[in-house]
Amino acid sequence: MKILESMLSKNSENKISLGLFFVLAILPVAAAFSYAVLYSFGVVGIANEGFTFRFWKEVLSTGEFIQSFGYSAAISAVSMVISISLALYLTIIFHKDFENKILSFIAYLPLSLPGVVAAFFGVQVLSKSGFFSRLSYKIGWTEDLSGFPDLINDQYAIGIIITFVSVVAPFFLLLFLNIYENEKVDELHKLANSLGADRRQSIWKVEIPILLHKSKKLISLYLIFLMGAYEIPLILGREAPQMLSVLIVRDLKQYDLTKISEGYVIAVIYSIVIGMITYFIFSRQKQVYA
Amino acid sequence: MPKFRKVTLLLYVVMIMFPFFYLFLLSLSAEWKFPDLTPNYFGIKNWQQIFSSQSGLGTSFITSLFISFFVALTSTSLGFYVSRYISYHPRRHTMSMLAYFPYVIAPVVFGACMIYFFLKMRLFGTLYGVILAQSFVAFPYALIFFTSFWGEKIQSYEQLVATLGGNVMQGFLKVTLPLAKGMLMICFFQTFLISWFEYGLTSIIGVGKVETLTIKVFLFIKESNFYFGALSCCLLILPPLFLIYLNKRYVFNKIL
Amino acid sequence: MRRIFFILLTMIIFGCKDQKATNPTTDLLTLEWSEILTRANGSEVTFMMWQGSPDLNKYINEYIKPHLKEKHGITLNIVGGQGPEIVQLLMGEKQANVSDGQVDMVWINGETFFQLKAIDGLWGPFLDKIPNSKLIDLSNKFISTDFQQPIGGMEVPWSITQFALVHDSIETPTPPSTLPELAAYVKQNQGYFTISNDFSGMTLLKSFLAELSGSPHGLDGTFDEIKYSDLSEKLWAWINQHKKYFWKNGETFPSENTKLNQMYANGEIKISYGFGEGGIDDKINQGLIPKSTKVYPWKNGTIKNSNYLGIVSNSGNKAGAMVAINYFLSPDAQFRKADVSGVNANTVLSYDLLTADDKVKFDQIPKRLYGPSIEELKGHAIQEPDPRYMIKLYEDFRKYVIEK
Repeated sequence: MKILESMLSKNSENKISLGLFFVLAILPVAAAFSYAVLYSFGVVGIANEGFTFRFWKEVLSTGEFIQSFGYSAAISAVSMVISISLALYLTIIFHKDFENKILSFIAYLPLSLPGVVAAFFGVQVLSKSGFFSRLSYKIGWTEDLSGFPDLINDQYAIGIIITFVSVVAPFFLLLFLNIYENEKVDELHKLANSLGADRRQSIWKVEIPILLHKSKKLISLYLIFLMGAYEIPLILGREAPQMLSVLIVRDLKQYDLTKISEGYVIAVIYSIVIGMITYFIFSRQKQVYA
Repeated sequence: MPKFRKVTLLLYVVMIMFPFFYLFLLSLSAEWKFPDLTPNYFGIKNWQQIFSSQSGLGTSFITSLFISFFVALTSTSLGFYVSRYISYHPRRHTMSMLAYFPYVIAPVVFGACMIYFFLKMRLFGTLYGVILAQSFVAFPYALIFFTSFWGEKIQSYEQLVATLGGNVMQGFLKVTLPLAKGMLMICFFQTFLISWFEYGLTSIIGVGKVETLTIKVFLFIKESNFYFGALSCCLLILPPLFLIYLNKRYVFNKIL
Repeated sequence: MRRIFFILLTMIIFGCKDQKATNPTTDLLTLEWSEILTRANGSEVTFMMWQGSPDLNKYINEYIKPHLKEKHGITLNIVGGQGPEIVQLLMGEKQANVSDGQVDMVWINGETFFQLKAIDGLWGPFLDKIPNSKLIDLSNKFISTDFQQPIGGMEVPWSITQFALVHDSIETPTPPSTLPELAAYVKQNQGYFTISNDFSGMTLLKSFLAELSGSPHGLDGTFDEIKYSDLSEKLWAWINQHKKYFWKNGETFPSENTKLNQMYANGEIKISYGFGEGGIDDKINQGLIPKSTKVYPWKNGTIKNSNYLGIVSNSGNKAGAMVAINYFLSPDAQFRKADVSGVNANTVLSYDLLTADDKVKFDQIPKRLYGPSIEELKGHAIQEPDPRYMIKLYEDFRKYVIEK
């Protein structure tokens, strides 16, 4: 009892909490990052010979890494735009309906689907021999397998985007519904109406801005998550260009042992960029959530 | 308008339920090829095989449960405790920003860079190594999650308790904890899911020795037989579905 | 507080430098086999293998594991991994100076053998110590050399297999078996052929390279940089010229051969390929592909190779690994592995060296119903080339074809 009490009191709590914070949150990232940096310069690594800029030069001169970065960012952005639009639409138009117990439970169901399952399902329905292809064949839209368009393993990452949306949109729908209720957006909407605004104005100038503003941080976080996604692009992506995490892991596992450091170079660059974006998100925040 | 609403909502429900039904259907099938819309075989032979052969799905299920439970328990409790300190700290802005880093880095890349240290700590390829690795991702989440809890309101409750003559322990047990109950449950649920669904990091630190259900699912998916893949997916979805059913009203109490 | 943190971090960074591995091995090779058996009894052996074949997994889990436990008291643990994963694990462990590694025995061949030797990752030579190794016909070049490298007792053969192509005899009655025939085929049947970006696809490319060299022996000998760049240039030119007729217009390629199998099963592609002499019997039995599927060889020859079992240098249970490997090589285990309805893998044991009883057993193995025997494809077998060809093919396929 005494120990617990002292743990909760302000003074010694400082040391334990601070210690835990460092060991569990800061140290792992710092250590992993340092290791990656060292490996990227060839300082560690059995197949490496010592400090060299060689790997950095190689990665920065070929276009593959930049292409992958742009590709990942684009896919992430597109997926987010679609997801948020869908979620906003459903929230604003149907928020009353979602108060129904059954519908509200159904809205939570997608949270039980992880990336692996979503990707597997994506292959099952979107591939050339998948469910939709068979449907279109039966209806007569396509004559055979090859007539069906490329939806997965394609250059526009359609399969990846659809799967991302199916995983992200439900979450944002729930989030927006929640904000809608908490911030009493309904009341605000009525207020706007009574002040003379019509439906369109109150949606675009009141409801949407509030929903988006309150979820700004989460939106930025999800943008970052999608960029670094692994399982879904691994299954639904194509060999080139590849999304970042898939590219990094592939490089780290490649056959040519002397080139593994290049994977670490990309990992370091990726970490720095993500770190900067995170810092940027935070520095813009003047307000701390109570 | 009402008809349009009904149709849209129906479409929404169908789109949500379709994956579940399809995967379940697929797990009960065999010999289902293009262009058939219904399988040639429909029955329970797949499910029987899984539980009788030594495919290890049963053990993986239990392993995953154990790992996820531990990760959720430690991350939630430690996160709750440490976030209090951070939230009251003058430097809380910087500290919570730092807490985001492990959370935003792709776990798989993080894992690949941590291999050396896990080897040194002799935790590589062990169950506890995987638990630790997953905690590195779940703990920051819990930290961030609880920062919205500790604020002026709670602080004033704590001060109120002190003013009324209660000691720290009483304040914690009788005031703070009950107030936090809802959030603790959500956090437990969320961190459980983070661990339960984890693949990339687990496959790297566990090096295939620690067979969680997601690892098994991936194995089946890579093998040519997708009926078993669907079956594994069904197993993977069950606990989250169950948890959602239990926790529904708690999931979205506070916004991050 | 900050100071402590930075000190910790610096310690970690400096601790990362490579350390010399200090690993004294008790000289197991001088012990009697009976002593090794005693040491292995009651121990655990971890085996890292490719887990992509359900039949093989079943064989290991339901036959090998229980028998190994019963006969020698060894608990066999399976870990999934192949090729680069094995090498990287060893590399990581060496760097961290781990003397009791995660795995004890590994399923390897070719370039993995090459790389493991390069990082000193294998223990041995131990082949001669294994009693059942006397049943192997080491005069067979396809067994005693691994991708042009003499095995030198550092790895023990486990199966021998030949790569072959697969077609549906009804859909594709006259499948292509030379590059010009393939060119004509893809033009007429656009979108039904592709090259997988994994060891299967690369093995097919080796057949193509050999054909371009003009003879089945074109790639023999140590790695020849000039020969490689000459032949590969022609190869990439051929592929890039014809890839628009491939699956997905050659704009992307499947990342592994299980995907290829799925696509063949679905009818998405019409020509498939693989080791295990095409590997069609189990799939036909499972109802995944039609019974009219047949295997055929490439005219200039397809690769025939063996795969092997090795013991890693930092294994904590080398005795157990040796006993396990000995069991894998036993006539009983090899016989069971040759079961047509199961793994259907060819034995590396020499028929002539078997006991009379075992000979009878092996005689009674039913022939494959659908695929050819490895004997039938003998005339089209070519040696595996030096592993560096494979390594370069992986890289250059990506560079010159995928990313074009």
